[in-house]
Amino acid sequence: MATQTAVRRGPKFGRKQVFLPNFTLTLLRTPNLPPTFASFIVPLNLNKLDLRDYLWHAYGIPVRGVRSYIQMQKVRQDKPNAKRPSPRKWFRPRSIKKMMVEMEKPFVWPEAPESFAEWDKETFDAAQEDRTKMESTFRPDWHTKPSAERGTIAEQAKALLKGEATWEPSLKGWEDVGEPVEVETNVRV
Amino acid sequence: MRPVVRRLLRPSQLQNAPPTFLLPSLLNTSQQSSPFSSTSSNPYPRDMNRERGVSTQRRTGLRQPVSISKTPLPKPVLDPKKRSKVEVDPDHGLWQFFHSKEKPMNTPEEDHAHGRAWTVEELRQKSWEDLHSLWWVCCKERNRISTESYERQRLDAGYGDAEARGRDAQVRVTMRGIKQTLTERYYSWQDAQQIAKTDTEVDLSGEGPAYTPMDYVEEGDVLEEETQLGTEVPLSSEAKPEAKAV
Repeated sequence: MATQTAVRRGPKFGRKQVFLPNFTLTLLRTPNLPPTFASFIVPLNLNKLDLRDYLWHAYGIPVRGVRSYIQMQKVRQDKPNAKRPSPRKWFRPRSIKKMMVEMEKPFVWPEAPESFAEWDKETFDAAQEDRTKMESTFRPDWHTKPSAERGTIAEQAKALLKGEATWEPSLKGWEDVGEPVEVETNVRV
Repeated sequence: MRPVVRRLLRPSQLQNAPPTFLLPSLLNTSQQSSPFSSTSSNPYPRDMNRERGVSTQRRTGLRQPVSISKTPLPKPVLDPKKRSKVEVDPDHGLWQFFHSKEKPMNTPEEDHAHGRAWTVEELRQKSWEDLHSLWWVCCKERNRISTESYERQRLDAGYGDAEARGRDAQVRVTMRGIKQTLTERYYSWQDAQQIAKTDTEVDLSGEGPAYTPMDYVEEGDVLEEETQLGTEVPLSSEAKPEAKAV
């Protein structure tokens, strides 16, 4: 019987050389896909053949197949990177192109860390809350919403009406500032 | 014995004989076969549409059984903890999208611990291959930073975005330096081409040696050359040599 040597050719590539490519690939975590699949966010003008070429030559990953899809983004009202909302200035952010790649060998992402203490999550979240509160005071509908003190005022009023508390002025007594002094002496009008 | 069979068994006609596995059909041709039922055996009556009523969305199944109808379908394991552990190759290319194999992103301290970018002075001394290799190193580092930033954002981990952006900025400064070096070299080459057109020592035709330096320079010869040249080609990097009037 003749030996059947399976000549495994690499994937087919073009002959065009690309120098100094300037874009970024972002690998995504896909726990619901089989481990032989990987998903990337790619630039909008990259195609499946380019991605296969890139993964083979830069990372040594042989790829069986590539599937791509473009996610259109929702129309937004702000300018890009705006903290204050600028209404009626509508724009649609750039679409996101994602590509799913089937590989020969499986890959599983490293586990997410249990505690985010090294990233100081507590301080970060507290700072985020503070910032949101401060930013909400600048919104145009700030005065239409009840202030934070309304709740405590309502509680105090209830207690007063029930008779559980009695009203007392916060400034107790008079402050002694000494004898009255005429300040406007020798004033020429 | 049937005439057909008798002819077959004659040795002279064995070469033209039909194959032996057809013998039973030739022997039993006297029996009449009839179908069990007299109903027509058309499985898709009226409109001949085998897909009528068959839906994957509603999981109806096929209208006629197929060879695999009796084998049970495999059921997916929905609980991730009950799935079998996948053996990941330690040399898998996708590990290069992470800084470490233990965690999916760097801590802010690890991201901040980077050096400065390559200066253009340092890059000018590097060869074409070195510069292009360095470009790819920068590309892969940017991919790493981008992957980790996306994951940090998704997990809402906390701080680290500013450090990552600083690191990315340094990488981009290096890439800018590489492009600047290559551009400078290209401009020098362009200028050299211009000068070579009017240089007597250089021959760009392709026949013979490209550069034949003069054995010795005479004072008079140099002055004659300069007056003949007239307007000098301005160089981007060097100062314009003074044209001496004779």
